[in-house]
Order: sequence, then structure tokens, then C-alpha cells
Amino acid sequence: MACENEYSHLIHKYLDEEMTLLEKKKLENHLLHCADCSGHLRELRKTVAIVQSASHMEAPKDFTANVMKQLPKETRTNQWKTWTRRHPYLITAAVFFLVFIMSVSSIWTGGQKEIIVQGDGHFVVDEERGVVIIPEGEVISGDITVRNGDIEIAGEVNGSITVINGELIYSDLTNGENYLASTGHVAGEINEINQVFGWLWFHIKSFFSDVINVFN
Amino acid sequence: MDAVVKKIIIEVKKGDQQAFSELVEIYKDKVYQVAYRMLGNAHEAQDVAQEAFLRAYTNLETYDINRKFSTWLFRIATNLAIDRIRKKKPDFHLEDQVAGTEDLNYYSQIATDEALPEDQVVKFEMQEWVQNEIMMLPPKYRSAIILKYMEDLSLKEISEILNLPVATVKTRIHRGREALRKRLRDS
Ligand SMILES: [Zn+2]
Repeated sequence: MACENEYSHLIHKYLDEEMTLLEKKKLENHLLHCADCSGHLRELRKTVAIVQSASHMEAPKDFTANVMKQLPKETRTNQWKTWTRRHPYLITAAVFFLVFIMSVSSIWTGGQKEIIVQGDGHFVVDEERGVVIIPEGEVISGDITVRNGDIEIAGEVNGSITVINGELIYSDLTNGENYLASTGHVAGEINEINQVFGWLWFHIKSFFSDVINVFN
Repeated sequence: MDAVVKKIIIEVKKGDQQAFSELVEIYKDKVYQVAYRMLGNAHEAQDVAQEAFLRAYTNLETYDINRKFSTWLFRIATNLAIDRIRKKKPDFHLEDQVAGTEDLNYYSQIATDEALPEDQVVKFEMQEWVQNEIMMLPPKYRSAIILKYMEDLSLKEISEILNLPVATVKTRIHRGREALRKRLRDS
């Protein structure tokens, strides 16, 4: 036991590999003959091995999100600066996409198609403008569906209006905000189904396959 | 690695808050481990580890980019953990500690077996044992042992983290190691 106290410091130095060659030789010699000291070293080595064997721990799953939530709020200008710095390509893509939508829309509206009207009542078809007109004083008794054309209502529609590939035109917008009053009366729902989006998708797909061909 | 961390820190300093999440991702496990080993429970460990990152963020201006970021971060984390221990237990002494007895049988079994069993259950109990023993150490030895043997840091790094001379760190590691060994032998 007395030996243990005397050699304890040396044994720790030995373990940390901080001895001169001479010190090392002396201790190793002593260890050969002293069971206490060699036991001490063995126990220390085992202790270290056990502590090291404790496998590494992982932070909880939501750790990063929790930290980020608690950070002081960024200023707006910083957020924008940061965003543009991190996503320059996204801005380019957004601008490009806008141009793309406009050109596809023009392809779409340029195509001539026959106007089809389904409904019960008197209406006028202005072929030149591509508009179906419900004149003032006229009443459509049920629903009306217009395909490939716009609809302008001065009279009344008792049912719903569905416009496919066209839109509802208010006959008089000059009156200001309350334009519904200046148009005819519509009892049901107004649905505008724009197949431009269907077209758009088709064009996007063919556009990107073209782009890929170009790059290949 | 250091170059990547440097780049992220420059981004954060420019005002890119989102870039900070990359730093958290890189160091969260290490910081959490230090906090857990120091405090011995998951709830407080998460608290302290998160607080360490928040402090790092708000004090980033004071961080010297030419020094190792992990050292600075560990320093914040260990200081917070030690503060937490002090608040919990104002008079902490090694002598006050009474050994838990529930793990002792298991422990002597490990101690006498040369080869450690590979079984997962055993591994888990081993983890618990190590944690229990580390919790028995006074905080100043505990932090030195954790940083040395669990985070695998050099004496120089530990001395910077704990703001102590290398010689003092060595002494603390020796004493911590000795205390653990005695418990291993006496149990
Ligand atoms: Zn001896």
C-alpha cells in the first residue's frame, strides 16, 4: 500500500505516455516485481477503457429545430438578403417561369376554336370577339355553359354559369367598384375553368424534353 | 472541416441566421453529450445544450475566427453545465457522495471478466454504470474526464475549454481516473 502511494503519480505519467525513456525503464522494472503497482496500472487501464466504451450520444431529433426557433428574430432586410444570397438560381427560375406562362397563354389564345353554348334562353354570339352575350332584359332559365369563348351578361341567369376556356366579362366596369350592379343578375355559381393550365403542363413537358435534348 | 465551419460562421455573421442551423447540426451531438455526462439527465442536458447554442449565436461577435470554434462552444457548454450543477447542489463534495448499491454486483462481474460481453442489454447497463460513476465525481474532475475520454480532446484543448493550465488539467484527470478506479476496485 505504501508502494502504491509512492508510485501512483509515476503510474499516471506512464499511462499518459509522458515519461522519459529512463523513467519508463525504471518503472517497468518495478512493475515486473511489484504486484500492487502492476495491479494498479491494470485497473487504471480498465477504468479508462470502460469510460471510453460509453458510446457516443445523440442529441434529440428536434434539437436543431428547437434551437433555431429560439434564436432572436432576423430583420426583414436580412431575411431577404439572406434568401437572395442562398437562392440566386430560384429568382432566375421565377422570372423565367413568368415569361414562359405569358408566351404559352398567347399560344393558347391565338388558336381559333368554335364557340359552344349550352343553355336555355336568348343569347347572342359575337363571333368576332368570341363572346356570348346575354342581352339586357333576357333571362336564361337554367344553367349556361360556354366553351371556347367569354360570356358577357347584361340580362339574368337563373342557374349557374360555367365558362370553359373563357371568362366572365362584366359589361360595364366604368361604374367603379360595384360592377355587379351594372351587369345582369346571376342566381347560381360562376365557374371559370381554364384549360390553359392543362395546356401549360403539356407545353412545360415538351419544353423541358427539348431543353434536355439541346443539352445532350 | 475547420474551413467549412469558418465559412458557415462568416455567413452567420453577415446575417444569415439559417446558416447557424448547419453549425448546430455539426456540433449538437458533442455538445449534448458533454451536457448529459455532466448533468446525468436528458431533460437538463437538452436545456443546457440548447442554451449553449443560443449563447454562441448571440455572442458570435466575440468569437475569434482564428481559434477553434468547438473549443469556444464547449467552453460555453461546460460553464453552463457547471453553473447548473452549482445551483442544484450548493455544497458539493466528494465525501458527501454515497455509492449507489444497485449496480455493484453487475460491476464486480464486469471487473473480474477480462472480456467485456457484447450483448446490447449488457452494453446498456454498462452505459448506465459509467454514467453513474461519472456523476459521483466532483464537477471539476467530471468535466476533465468527460472532455478527455468521451470527447477525445487533447490536454491543450481541455485547458482552453476549462480555462486552466495544462498541468492542472492533468492533475484533475489523474484524480478523476484514480477516483473511478477505486470505485471499480472497491465495489
Ligand atoms: Zn510497487
